[in-house]
Amino acid sequence: MNQRKEQGLLLSVENLGERLFRLKIHSPSISKKALPGNFCHLRVNESYSPLLRRAFSIHQVETEKNSFELLFKVVGPGTQILSEKKTGEKIDLLGPLGNSFSLPAKDENAVLLAGGMGIAPLFYLVSSLLEKKFDPQKISLFFGVRKKDEYLLVNDIVSTGIRLHLATEDGSSGYRGMITELFFQELRARRLKTKRTRFYACGPNLMLKKVSEISRKFKLDCQISLESHMPCGVGACMGCVVNTVKGYKRVCKDGPVFDAREVILD
Amino acid sequence: MIPDLSVKIGKVKFSNPVLVASGTFGYGEEYGAFFDLNELGSIITKSITLNPREGHLPPRTCETPSGMLNAIGLANVGVKRFIQEKLPFLRNLKTKVIVNVAGSSIDEYVEVVKKLEGKKGIDLLEINISCPNVKQGGITFGSDPKCAYDCIKAVRDNSTYPIIAKLSPNVADIVEIALAVEEAGADAVSLINTLVGMAIDLEKRKPRLSNITGGLSGPAIKPVALAMVWKTAQKVKIPVIGLGGIMNTQDALEFILAGASMIQVGTGNFVDPECSVKIVEGLKEYCQEKKLKRILDLRGKLKIFTAD
Repeated sequence: MNQRKEQGLLLSVENLGERLFRLKIHSPSISKKALPGNFCHLRVNESYSPLLRRAFSIHQVETEKNSFELLFKVVGPGTQILSEKKTGEKIDLLGPLGNSFSLPAKDENAVLLAGGMGIAPLFYLVSSLLEKKFDPQKISLFFGVRKKDEYLLVNDIVSTGIRLHLATEDGSSGYRGMITELFFQELRARRLKTKRTRFYACGPNLMLKKVSEISRKFKLDCQISLESHMPCGVGACMGCVVNTVKGYKRVCKDGPVFDAREVILD
Repeated sequence: MIPDLSVKIGKVKFSNPVLVASGTFGYGEEYGAFFDLNELGSIITKSITLNPREGHLPPRTCETPSGMLNAIGLANVGVKRFIQEKLPFLRNLKTKVIVNVAGSSIDEYVEVVKKLEGKKGIDLLEINISCPNVKQGGITFGSDPKCAYDCIKAVRDNSTYPIIAKLSPNVADIVEIALAVEEAGADAVSLINTLVGMAIDLEKRKPRLSNITGGLSGPAIKPVALAMVWKTAQKVKIPVIGLGGIMNTQDALEFILAGASMIQVGTGNFVDPECSVKIVEGLKEYCQEKKLKRILDLRGKLKIFTAD
Protein backbone atom coordinates (compact mmCIF):
# COMPACT_ATOMS: atom_id res chain seq x y z
CA MET A 1 0.00 0.00 0.00
CA ASN A 2 1.35 3.33 -1.06
CA GLN A 3 0.28 5.70 1.70
CA ARG A 4 -0.41 9.06 0.13
CA LYS A 5 -2.33 10.94 2.80
CA GLU A 6 -0.33 13.16 5.06
CA GLN A 7 -0.66 16.02 7.53
CA GLY A 8 1.69 18.68 6.18
CA LEU A 9 3.05 21.43 8.39
CA LEU A 10 2.94 24.95 7.06
CA LEU A 11 6.45 26.42 7.21
CA SER A 12 5.81 29.82 5.60
CA VAL A 13 3.22 31.97 3.86
CA GLU A 14 4.46 34.72 1.54
CA ASN A 15 2.40 37.33 -0.19
CA LEU A 16 4.17 37.86 -3.53
CA GLY A 17 1.83 40.45 -5.00
CA GLU A 18 -1.80 41.26 -5.52
CA ARG A 19 -3.68 38.09 -4.49
CA LEU A 20 -0.53 36.02 -5.16
CA PHE A 21 0.78 33.67 -2.50
CA ARG A 22 3.49 31.11 -1.96
CA LEU A 23 3.23 28.46 0.75
CA LYS A 24 6.06 26.27 1.95
CA ILE A 25 4.87 23.00 3.46
CA HIS A 26 6.78 20.32 5.33
CA SER A 27 5.76 16.97 3.87
CA PRO A 28 8.27 14.11 3.68
CA SER A 29 6.06 11.95 1.48
CA ILE A 30 5.38 14.59 -1.18
CA SER A 31 8.89 16.03 -1.23
CA LYS A 32 10.44 12.58 -1.63
CA LYS A 33 8.20 11.33 -4.41
CA ALA A 34 7.16 14.44 -6.36
CA LEU A 35 8.06 14.89 -10.02
CA PRO A 36 7.52 18.02 -12.15
CA GLY A 37 3.89 18.02 -13.30
CA ASN A 38 2.49 16.21 -10.24
CA PHE A 39 -0.12 17.87 -8.08
CA CYS A 40 -1.40 17.64 -4.53
CA HIS A 41 -5.01 17.64 -3.37
CA LEU A 42 -5.60 19.46 -0.13
CA ARG A 43 -8.31 20.42 2.31
CA VAL A 44 -8.22 24.10 3.16
CA ASN A 45 -10.02 23.48 6.46
CA GLU A 46 -11.99 20.81 8.29
CA SER A 47 -15.43 22.34 7.81
CA TYR A 48 -17.91 21.63 5.01
CA SER A 49 -17.38 25.12 3.61
CA PRO A 50 -15.75 24.58 1.25
CA LEU A 51 -16.47 20.87 1.15
CA LEU A 52 -14.14 19.49 -1.49
CA ARG A 53 -10.38 19.37 -1.75
CA ARG A 54 -8.48 21.76 -3.98
CA ALA A 55 -5.84 20.66 -6.50
CA PHE A 56 -2.55 22.57 -6.81
CA SER A 57 0.41 21.74 -8.96
CA ILE A 58 3.62 21.28 -7.05
CA HIS A 59 5.78 24.35 -7.52
CA GLN A 60 9.11 23.67 -5.90
CA VAL A 61 10.60 20.83 -3.89
CA GLU A 62 13.44 20.85 -1.40
CA THR A 63 14.01 17.17 -0.84
CA GLU A 64 16.73 17.60 1.79
CA LYS A 65 14.39 19.82 3.83
CA ASN A 66 11.37 17.54 3.29
CA SER A 67 9.39 20.48 2.02
CA PHE A 68 7.60 21.64 -1.11
CA GLU A 69 5.96 24.85 -2.27
CA LEU A 70 2.65 25.88 -3.75
CA LEU A 71 2.12 29.03 -5.78
CA PHE A 72 -1.42 30.31 -6.22
CA LYS A 73 -3.69 33.24 -6.81
CA VAL A 74 -6.70 33.92 -4.60
CA VAL A 75 -9.69 33.26 -6.86
CA GLY A 76 -12.40 32.05 -4.49
CA PRO A 77 -13.23 31.07 -0.91
CA GLY A 78 -10.87 28.04 -0.91
CA THR A 79 -7.76 29.93 -1.96
CA GLN A 80 -8.79 32.84 0.32
CA ILE A 81 -8.75 30.53 3.37
CA LEU A 82 -5.45 29.04 2.28
CA SER A 83 -3.88 32.48 1.93
CA GLU A 84 -4.88 33.35 5.52
CA LYS A 85 -3.18 30.29 7.01
CA LYS A 86 -0.49 30.81 9.61
CA THR A 87 2.93 29.20 9.92
CA GLY A 88 2.69 26.09 12.06
CA GLU A 89 -0.81 25.08 10.94
CA LYS A 90 -1.45 21.55 9.70
CA ILE A 91 -2.65 20.92 6.16
CA ASP A 92 -4.38 17.69 5.13
CA LEU A 93 -2.63 16.59 1.92
CA LEU A 94 -2.94 13.88 -0.69
CA GLY A 95 -0.09 13.53 -3.10
CA PRO A 96 1.90 13.52 -5.16
CA LEU A 97 -0.89 12.70 -7.61
CA GLY A 98 -1.23 12.50 -11.39
CA ASN A 99 1.37 11.94 -14.07
CA SER A 100 4.44 14.08 -14.69
CA PHE A 101 6.25 15.78 -17.56
CA SER A 102 8.37 13.56 -19.74
CA LEU A 103 11.82 15.18 -19.63
CA PRO A 104 14.02 16.07 -22.61
CA ALA A 105 17.17 14.09 -23.33
CA LYS A 106 20.52 15.84 -22.71
CA ASP A 107 20.97 16.69 -26.41
CA GLU A 108 17.44 18.08 -26.82
CA ASN A 109 16.09 21.59 -26.25
CA ALA A 110 13.25 22.54 -23.96
CA VAL A 111 10.82 25.35 -24.73
CA LEU A 112 8.34 26.28 -22.00
CA LEU A 113 5.26 28.45 -22.26
CA ALA A 114 3.74 29.82 -19.05
CA GLY A 115 0.59 31.91 -18.83
CA GLY A 116 0.14 33.62 -15.46
CA MET A 117 0.01 31.05 -12.67
CA GLY A 118 1.01 28.42 -15.24
CA ILE A 119 4.55 29.30 -14.17
CA ALA A 120 4.03 27.19 -11.01
CA PRO A 121 4.70 23.69 -12.39
CA LEU A 122 7.00 24.96 -15.18
CA PHE A 123 9.43 26.61 -12.82
CA TYR A 124 9.64 23.29 -11.00
CA LEU A 125 10.44 21.68 -14.35
CA VAL A 126 13.20 24.24 -14.99
CA SER A 127 14.82 23.73 -11.57
CA SER A 128 14.57 20.03 -11.94
CA LEU A 129 16.32 20.10 -15.34
CA LEU A 130 19.06 22.38 -14.02
CA GLU A 131 19.58 20.07 -11.08
CA LYS A 132 20.17 17.30 -13.60
CA LYS A 133 22.89 19.52 -15.16
CA PHE A 134 20.81 20.36 -18.21
CA ASP A 135 22.43 23.26 -20.12
CA PRO A 136 20.41 26.42 -19.22
CA GLN A 137 21.04 27.84 -22.69
CA LYS A 138 19.03 24.95 -24.12
CA ILE A 139 15.97 26.01 -22.13
CA SER A 140 13.71 28.84 -23.34
CA LEU A 141 10.82 30.18 -21.29
CA PHE A 142 7.99 32.20 -22.81
CA PHE A 143 6.22 33.86 -19.90
CA GLY A 144 3.06 35.90 -20.40
CA VAL A 145 0.97 37.85 -17.91
CA ARG A 146 -1.72 40.53 -18.18
CA LYS A 147 0.34 43.37 -16.74
CA LYS A 148 3.87 43.93 -15.46
CA ASP A 149 3.10 43.67 -11.75
CA GLU A 150 1.79 40.12 -12.23
CA TYR A 151 5.30 38.94 -13.04
CA LEU A 152 6.35 36.41 -10.50
CA LEU A 153 9.76 35.00 -9.84
CA VAL A 154 11.32 36.91 -12.73
CA ASN A 155 14.52 37.47 -10.73
CA ASP A 156 14.69 33.80 -9.84
CA ILE A 157 14.15 32.91 -13.48
CA VAL A 158 16.82 35.34 -14.74
CA SER A 159 19.37 33.98 -12.26
CA THR A 160 19.00 30.49 -13.73
CA GLY A 161 20.54 31.69 -16.98
CA ILE A 162 17.81 30.25 -19.22
CA ARG A 163 16.54 32.15 -22.27
CA LEU A 164 13.57 34.29 -21.34
CA HIS A 165 10.85 35.84 -23.53
CA LEU A 166 8.36 38.08 -21.74
CA ALA A 167 4.99 39.34 -22.87
CA THR A 168 2.29 41.43 -21.22
CA GLU A 169 -1.21 41.90 -22.57
CA ASP A 170 -1.08 45.64 -21.84
CA GLY A 171 2.47 46.08 -23.17
CA SER A 172 3.82 47.29 -19.82
CA SER A 173 6.81 44.98 -20.21
CA GLY A 174 8.25 42.90 -23.04
CA TYR A 175 6.16 41.95 -26.06
CA ARG A 176 2.71 43.54 -26.15
CA GLY A 177 0.07 40.84 -26.56
CA MET A 178 -0.55 37.22 -25.81
CA ILE A 179 2.39 34.94 -25.14
CA THR A 180 1.06 32.50 -27.74
CA GLU A 181 1.30 35.25 -30.41
CA LEU A 182 4.95 35.86 -29.57
CA PHE A 183 5.58 32.14 -29.59
CA PHE A 184 3.84 31.74 -32.95
CA GLN A 185 5.90 34.57 -34.46
CA GLU A 186 9.14 33.01 -33.24
CA LEU A 187 8.12 29.67 -34.69
CA ARG A 188 7.04 31.14 -38.02
CA ALA A 189 10.29 33.13 -38.32
CA ARG A 190 12.13 29.86 -37.64
CA ARG A 191 13.92 31.39 -34.69
CA LEU A 192 12.92 28.34 -32.64
CA LYS A 193 14.12 24.89 -33.49
CA THR A 194 11.33 22.36 -33.60
CA LYS A 195 13.43 19.26 -34.22
CA ARG A 196 14.91 17.62 -31.13
CA THR A 197 12.94 20.06 -29.02
CA ARG A 198 10.40 19.31 -26.30
CA PHE A 199 7.69 21.87 -25.68
CA TYR A 200 5.81 22.35 -22.40
CA ALA A 201 2.91 24.65 -21.58
CA CYS A 202 0.71 25.56 -18.65
CA GLY A 203 -1.77 28.40 -18.27
CA PRO A 204 -5.41 29.35 -18.80
CA ASN A 205 -7.50 27.05 -21.02
CA LEU A 206 -7.79 29.65 -23.76
CA MET A 207 -4.01 29.86 -24.03
CA LEU A 208 -3.64 26.08 -23.98
CA LYS A 209 -6.21 25.80 -26.73
CA LYS A 210 -3.98 28.03 -28.88
CA VAL A 211 -0.91 26.01 -27.92
CA SER A 212 -2.74 22.87 -28.88
CA GLU A 213 -3.62 24.31 -32.33
CA ILE A 214 -0.05 25.53 -32.87
CA SER A 215 1.33 22.14 -31.81
CA ARG A 216 -0.82 20.37 -34.37
CA LYS A 217 0.08 22.87 -37.09
CA PHE A 218 3.86 22.72 -36.48
CA LYS A 219 3.83 19.07 -35.34
CA LEU A 220 5.39 19.98 -32.00
CA ASP A 221 6.21 17.43 -29.34
CA CYS A 222 4.34 19.43 -26.74
CA GLN A 223 3.04 18.54 -23.30
CA ILE A 224 0.43 20.66 -21.58
CA SER A 225 -0.60 20.62 -17.96
CA LEU A 226 -4.35 21.06 -17.45
CA GLU A 227 -6.47 22.32 -14.62
CA SER A 228 -9.95 21.03 -13.74
CA HIS A 229 -12.40 20.79 -10.86
CA MET A 230 -11.47 17.50 -9.26
CA PRO A 231 -13.84 16.04 -6.70
CA CYS A 232 -11.78 12.90 -5.93
CA GLY A 233 -8.35 13.65 -7.43
CA VAL A 234 -7.49 9.96 -7.64
CA GLY A 235 -9.30 8.76 -10.77
CA ALA A 236 -12.47 7.39 -9.21
CA CYS A 237 -15.29 9.84 -9.92
CA MET A 238 -14.86 10.71 -13.63
CA GLY A 239 -15.78 14.30 -12.77
CA CYS A 240 -12.71 16.14 -14.10
CA VAL A 241 -12.52 14.75 -17.63
CA VAL A 242 -11.16 16.53 -20.71
CA ASN A 243 -12.02 15.62 -24.26
CA THR A 244 -9.21 14.14 -26.37
CA VAL A 245 -8.86 12.42 -29.73
CA LYS A 246 -8.95 9.18 -27.72
CA GLY A 247 -12.17 10.10 -25.87
CA TYR A 248 -12.63 11.59 -22.42
CA LYS A 249 -9.61 11.35 -20.16
CA ARG A 250 -9.39 12.02 -16.41
CA VAL A 251 -7.29 15.11 -15.75
CA CYS A 252 -6.42 13.82 -12.26
CA LYS A 253 -5.28 10.33 -13.20
CA ASP A 254 -4.54 10.19 -16.96
CA GLY A 255 -3.14 13.74 -16.64
CA PRO A 256 -2.73 16.49 -15.64
CA VAL A 257 -0.04 16.37 -18.34
CA PHE A 258 -1.33 15.59 -21.84
CA ASP A 259 0.02 15.63 -25.39
CA ALA A 260 -1.08 19.03 -26.75
CA ARG A 261 -1.91 17.51 -30.11
CA GLU A 262 -4.41 15.08 -28.57
CA VAL A 263 -6.41 17.38 -26.32
CA ILE A 264 -9.60 18.99 -27.61
CA LEU A 265 -10.27 22.15 -25.62
CA ASP A 266 -13.21 24.49 -26.13
CA MET B 1 -15.06 -7.66 24.02
CA ILE B 2 -15.05 -7.31 20.26
CA PRO B 3 -18.46 -6.04 19.15
CA ASP B 4 -20.26 -7.81 16.33
CA LEU B 5 -20.55 -5.45 13.37
CA SER B 6 -21.74 -8.09 10.92
CA VAL B 7 -24.90 -7.71 8.85
CA LYS B 8 -26.66 -10.05 6.44
CA ILE B 9 -28.47 -9.31 3.21
CA GLY B 10 -30.10 -12.36 1.72
CA LYS B 11 -27.54 -15.11 2.31
CA VAL B 12 -24.56 -12.78 2.16
CA LYS B 13 -22.84 -11.91 5.42
CA PHE B 14 -20.85 -8.68 5.59
CA SER B 15 -18.13 -8.20 8.21
CA ASN B 16 -19.43 -4.69 8.91
CA PRO B 17 -22.17 -2.35 7.69
CA VAL B 18 -19.94 0.19 5.92
CA LEU B 19 -20.10 0.29 2.12
CA VAL B 20 -18.81 2.77 -0.43
CA ALA B 21 -21.40 4.27 -2.74
CA SER B 22 -21.54 3.57 -6.46
CA GLY B 23 -19.85 6.18 -8.63
CA THR B 24 -17.63 7.52 -5.88
CA PHE B 25 -15.17 4.64 -5.69
CA GLY B 26 -14.49 3.74 -9.34
CA TYR B 27 -13.91 0.01 -9.61
CA GLY B 28 -12.05 -0.11 -6.31
CA GLU B 29 -8.43 0.08 -7.44
CA GLU B 30 -7.96 3.82 -7.03
CA TYR B 31 -8.54 3.82 -3.28
CA GLY B 32 -6.47 0.70 -2.65
CA ALA B 33 -3.46 3.01 -2.36
CA PHE B 34 -4.92 4.63 0.75
CA PHE B 35 -6.10 1.75 2.88
CA ASP B 36 -6.75 -1.99 2.96
CA LEU B 37 -9.99 -2.37 1.03
CA ASN B 38 -10.71 -5.58 2.93
CA GLU B 39 -11.55 -3.47 5.97
CA LEU B 40 -14.79 -2.41 4.25
CA GLY B 41 -18.08 -4.25 4.47
CA SER B 42 -18.26 -4.08 0.70
CA ILE B 43 -17.28 -2.14 -2.36
CA ILE B 44 -20.02 -1.03 -4.75
CA THR B 45 -18.80 -0.48 -8.30
CA LYS B 46 -19.63 2.36 -10.63
CA SER B 47 -22.89 1.71 -12.55
CA ILE B 48 -22.34 -0.83 -15.30
CA THR B 49 -24.37 -0.64 -18.50
CA LEU B 50 -24.58 -3.02 -21.44
CA ASN B 51 -22.33 -0.93 -23.70
CA PRO B 52 -19.49 1.38 -22.69
CA ARG B 53 -20.63 4.96 -22.06
CA GLU B 54 -18.44 8.03 -22.55
CA GLY B 55 -20.62 10.13 -20.25
CA HIS B 56 -21.63 13.76 -20.44
CA LEU B 57 -19.67 16.73 -21.77
CA PRO B 58 -17.61 18.52 -19.13
CA PRO B 59 -18.09 20.41 -16.85
CA ARG B 60 -19.56 17.46 -14.98
CA THR B 61 -19.28 18.59 -11.38
CA CYS B 62 -19.45 21.71 -9.29
CA GLU B 63 -19.34 22.51 -5.62
CA THR B 64 -22.38 23.92 -3.80
CA PRO B 65 -22.87 24.90 -0.14
CA SER B 66 -22.00 21.78 1.92
CA GLY B 67 -22.43 19.65 -1.16
CA MET B 68 -21.70 19.07 -4.80
CA LEU B 69 -23.57 18.51 -8.03
CA ASN B 70 -22.58 15.87 -10.53
CA ALA B 71 -23.77 14.88 -13.96
CA ILE B 72 -21.24 12.27 -15.02
CA GLY B 73 -23.72 10.53 -17.31
CA LEU B 74 -23.01 6.95 -16.21
CA ALA B 75 -19.57 6.93 -17.85
CA ASN B 76 -18.40 3.32 -17.57
CA VAL B 77 -16.51 0.60 -19.45
CA GLY B 78 -19.57 -1.52 -20.21
CA VAL B 79 -20.31 -4.99 -18.85
CA LYS B 80 -17.93 -6.90 -21.15
CA ARG B 81 -14.83 -4.89 -20.29
CA PHE B 82 -15.93 -4.75 -16.66
CA ILE B 83 -15.80 -8.54 -16.46
CA GLN B 84 -12.52 -8.75 -18.39
CA GLU B 85 -10.61 -5.81 -16.93
CA LYS B 86 -12.10 -4.77 -13.61
CA LEU B 87 -13.49 -7.90 -12.02
CA PRO B 88 -10.11 -9.72 -11.67
CA PHE B 89 -8.93 -7.04 -9.23
CA LEU B 90 -12.17 -7.13 -7.24
CA ARG B 91 -12.22 -10.94 -7.18
CA ASN B 92 -8.94 -11.02 -5.29
CA LEU B 93 -10.30 -8.95 -2.43
CA LYS B 94 -11.68 -10.57 0.68
CA THR B 95 -14.37 -7.90 1.00
CA LYS B 96 -17.77 -8.42 -0.63
CA VAL B 97 -18.31 -6.98 -4.09
CA ILE B 98 -21.58 -5.39 -5.13
CA VAL B 99 -21.96 -4.60 -8.82
CA ASN B 100 -24.19 -1.63 -9.57
CA VAL B 101 -26.26 -2.09 -12.73
CA ALA B 102 -27.99 0.57 -14.82
CA GLY B 103 -29.96 0.46 -18.03
CA SER B 104 -32.19 2.46 -20.32
CA SER B 105 -34.76 -0.32 -20.74
CA ILE B 106 -35.80 -3.37 -18.75
CA ASP B 107 -34.22 -5.49 -21.49
CA GLU B 108 -30.89 -3.77 -20.95
CA TYR B 109 -30.98 -4.37 -17.18
CA VAL B 110 -31.78 -8.01 -17.83
CA GLU B 111 -29.03 -8.41 -20.40
CA VAL B 112 -26.40 -6.91 -18.09
CA VAL B 113 -27.58 -9.04 -15.20
CA LYS B 114 -27.46 -12.20 -17.34
CA LYS B 115 -23.89 -11.44 -18.36
CA LEU B 116 -22.92 -11.00 -14.69
CA GLU B 117 -24.62 -14.22 -13.62
CA GLY B 118 -22.30 -16.83 -12.15
CA LYS B 119 -19.18 -14.68 -12.49
CA LYS B 120 -16.72 -15.36 -9.73
CA GLY B 121 -16.05 -12.37 -7.49
CA ILE B 122 -19.55 -10.90 -7.45
CA ASP B 123 -21.59 -11.20 -4.26
CA LEU B 124 -24.63 -8.98 -4.85
CA LEU B 125 -26.16 -6.62 -7.36
CA GLU B 126 -27.35 -3.10 -6.71
CA ILE B 127 -29.89 -2.05 -9.31
CA ASN B 128 -29.73 1.66 -10.06
CA ILE B 129 -33.30 2.69 -10.80
CA SER B 130 -32.59 6.23 -9.72
CA CYS B 131 -29.95 7.97 -11.81
CA PRO B 132 -31.17 11.54 -12.29
CA ASN B 133 -28.75 12.34 -15.12
CA VAL B 134 -29.67 10.17 -18.06
CA LYS B 135 -32.61 10.90 -20.29
CA GLN B 136 -33.88 7.38 -20.61
CA GLY B 137 -33.89 4.77 -17.93
CA GLY B 138 -32.44 5.20 -14.50
CA ILE B 139 -34.87 7.40 -12.72
CA THR B 140 -37.84 6.60 -14.98
CA PHE B 141 -37.85 3.14 -13.44
CA GLY B 142 -37.51 4.55 -9.98
CA SER B 143 -40.22 7.16 -10.02
CA ASP B 144 -43.23 4.99 -10.64
CA PRO B 145 -44.05 2.01 -8.38
CA LYS B 146 -45.27 -0.14 -11.28
CA CYS B 147 -42.12 0.50 -13.37
CA ALA B 148 -39.90 -0.07 -10.34
CA TYR B 149 -41.71 -3.35 -9.68
CA ASP B 150 -41.39 -4.50 -13.30
CA CYS B 151 -37.71 -3.67 -13.47
CA ILE B 152 -36.75 -5.36 -10.20
CA LYS B 153 -38.99 -8.34 -10.97
CA ALA B 154 -37.30 -8.85 -14.35
CA VAL B 155 -33.87 -8.68 -12.72
CA ARG B 156 -35.00 -11.03 -9.94
CA ASP B 157 -36.20 -13.60 -12.47
CA ASN B 158 -32.86 -13.54 -14.27
CA SER B 159 -30.38 -13.49 -11.44
CA THR B 160 -29.49 -15.63 -8.48
CA TYR B 161 -27.54 -12.88 -6.72
CA PRO B 162 -29.18 -11.03 -3.84
CA ILE B 163 -30.53 -7.72 -5.16
CA ILE B 164 -30.46 -4.24 -3.68
CA ALA B 165 -32.72 -1.66 -5.33
CA LYS B 166 -31.22 1.82 -5.20
CA LEU B 167 -34.00 4.35 -4.83
CA SER B 168 -34.41 7.96 -5.88
CA PRO B 169 -35.48 10.76 -3.54
CA ASN B 170 -36.95 12.64 -6.52
CA VAL B 171 -40.37 11.06 -6.05
CA ALA B 172 -43.64 11.90 -4.34
CA ASP B 173 -43.49 8.93 -1.97
CA ILE B 174 -40.32 6.88 -1.62
CA VAL B 175 -42.04 4.38 0.70
CA GLU B 176 -44.43 3.36 -2.05
CA ILE B 177 -41.48 2.59 -4.37
CA ALA B 178 -39.69 0.69 -1.59
CA LEU B 179 -42.77 -1.47 -0.99
CA ALA B 180 -43.09 -2.15 -4.72
CA VAL B 181 -39.49 -3.38 -5.09
CA GLU B 182 -39.80 -5.46 -1.91
CA GLU B 183 -42.86 -7.09 -3.46
CA ALA B 184 -40.82 -7.69 -6.65
CA GLY B 185 -38.24 -9.65 -4.71
CA ALA B 186 -35.53 -7.16 -3.78
CA ASP B 187 -33.42 -8.33 -0.83
CA ALA B 188 -32.71 -4.77 0.33
CA VAL B 189 -33.22 -1.14 -0.63
CA SER B 190 -30.54 1.56 -0.63
CA LEU B 191 -31.50 5.21 -0.35
CA ILE B 192 -31.09 7.95 -1.24
CA ASN B 193 -29.53 8.56 -4.61
CA THR B 194 -28.82 12.24 -5.38
CA LEU B 195 -31.43 15.01 -5.46
CA VAL B 196 -31.91 16.88 -8.71
CA GLY B 197 -30.24 20.28 -8.43
CA MET B 198 -28.79 23.11 -10.43
CA ALA B 199 -26.16 25.83 -10.09
CA ILE B 200 -25.68 28.94 -12.20
CA ASP B 201 -22.61 30.97 -13.08
CA LEU B 202 -23.99 34.50 -12.98
CA GLU B 203 -20.95 36.05 -14.66
CA LYS B 204 -21.26 33.81 -17.71
CA ARG B 205 -25.06 33.46 -17.43
CA LYS B 206 -24.54 29.75 -17.90
CA PRO B 207 -25.41 26.66 -15.91
CA ARG B 208 -22.35 25.33 -14.10
CA LEU B 209 -22.94 21.84 -15.52
CA SER B 210 -23.09 21.07 -19.22
CA ASN B 211 -26.08 18.84 -18.47
CA ILE B 212 -27.74 21.91 -16.83
CA THR B 213 -29.05 19.88 -13.89
CA GLY B 214 -27.19 17.32 -11.84
CA GLY B 215 -27.45 15.24 -8.70
CA LEU B 216 -26.85 16.91 -5.35
CA SER B 217 -24.86 14.97 -2.76
CA GLY B 218 -22.89 15.61 0.41
CA PRO B 219 -23.77 16.88 3.90
CA ALA B 220 -26.39 19.20 2.38
CA ILE B 221 -28.72 16.26 1.72
CA LYS B 222 -28.24 14.34 4.97
CA PRO B 223 -31.47 15.57 6.65
CA VAL B 224 -33.50 14.57 3.57
CA ALA B 225 -31.84 11.16 3.49
CA LEU B 226 -32.40 10.56 7.21
CA ALA B 227 -36.11 11.37 6.90
CA MET B 228 -36.54 9.03 3.94
CA VAL B 229 -34.61 6.20 5.60
CA TRP B 230 -36.70 6.65 8.73
CA LYS B 231 -40.00 6.57 6.84
CA THR B 232 -38.98 3.60 4.68
CA ALA B 233 -37.59 1.53 7.54
CA GLN B 234 -40.97 1.81 9.30
CA LYS B 235 -42.71 0.09 6.39
CA VAL B 236 -40.47 -2.46 4.68
CA LYS B 237 -39.32 -5.78 6.12
CA ILE B 238 -36.13 -6.03 4.04
CA PRO B 239 -32.95 -4.26 5.22
CA VAL B 240 -32.59 -0.56 4.45
CA ILE B 241 -29.17 0.74 3.44
CA GLY B 242 -28.83 4.43 4.22
CA LEU B 243 -26.77 6.97 2.33
CA GLY B 244 -26.73 10.69 1.74
CA GLY B 245 -24.08 12.97 3.22
CA ILE B 246 -22.47 10.49 5.59
CA MET B 247 -19.11 11.99 6.49
CA ASN B 248 -18.21 10.39 9.83
CA THR B 249 -19.14 7.85 12.51
CA GLN B 250 -21.74 10.08 14.07
CA ASP B 251 -23.57 10.44 10.76
CA ALA B 252 -23.46 6.67 10.26
CA LEU B 253 -24.87 6.04 13.75
CA GLU B 254 -27.72 8.47 13.11
CA PHE B 255 -28.73 6.50 10.02
CA ILE B 256 -28.61 3.24 11.97
CA LEU B 257 -30.79 4.76 14.69
CA ALA B 258 -33.22 5.86 11.99
CA GLY B 259 -33.52 2.24 10.87
CA ALA B 260 -30.66 1.55 8.44
CA SER B 261 -28.96 -1.85 8.66
CA MET B 262 -26.02 -0.67 6.60
CA ILE B 263 -24.67 2.64 5.35
CA GLN B 264 -22.81 3.90 2.29
CA VAL B 265 -20.16 6.59 2.11
CA GLY B 266 -20.20 8.56 -1.14
CA THR B 267 -19.06 12.16 -1.37
CA GLY B 268 -17.24 11.58 1.93
CA ASN B 269 -14.67 9.49 0.02
CA PHE B 270 -13.66 12.58 -1.95
CA VAL B 271 -13.20 14.72 1.14
CA ASP B 272 -11.25 12.04 2.97
CA PRO B 273 -10.26 8.85 1.12
CA GLU B 274 -10.10 7.11 4.51
CA CYS B 275 -13.58 8.26 5.55
CA SER B 276 -15.23 4.83 5.17
CA VAL B 277 -12.57 2.86 7.00
CA LYS B 278 -12.52 5.41 9.83
CA ILE B 279 -16.27 4.83 10.23
CA VAL B 280 -15.71 1.06 10.57
CA GLU B 281 -13.27 1.80 13.38
CA GLY B 282 -15.60 4.42 14.87
CA LEU B 283 -18.56 2.04 14.99
CA LYS B 284 -16.43 -0.53 16.81
CA GLU B 285 -15.35 2.05 19.37
CA TYR B 286 -18.91 3.29 19.86
CA CYS B 287 -20.17 -0.23 20.55
CA GLN B 288 -17.39 -0.81 23.06
CA GLU B 289 -18.02 2.49 24.79
CA LYS B 290 -21.80 1.93 24.95
CA LYS B 291 -21.41 -1.77 25.75
CA LEU B 292 -23.37 -2.88 22.69
CA LYS B 293 -22.77 -6.49 21.70
CA ARG B 294 -24.01 -5.98 18.19
CA ILE B 295 -24.21 -2.86 16.09
CA LEU B 296 -27.64 -3.99 14.92
CA ASP B 297 -28.91 -3.65 18.49
CA LEU B 298 -28.98 0.04 17.73
CA ARG B 299 -30.94 -0.25 14.51
CA GLY B 300 -34.17 1.74 14.56
CA LYS B 301 -33.80 2.50 18.28
CA LEU B 302 -34.72 6.12 17.91
CA LYS B 303 -36.57 7.36 20.99
CA ILE B 304 -39.70 9.07 19.78
CA PHE B 305 -41.39 11.94 21.64
CA THR B 306 -44.59 10.83 23.31
CA ALA B 307 -47.71 12.89 24.00
CA ASP B 308 -47.12 13.04 27.72
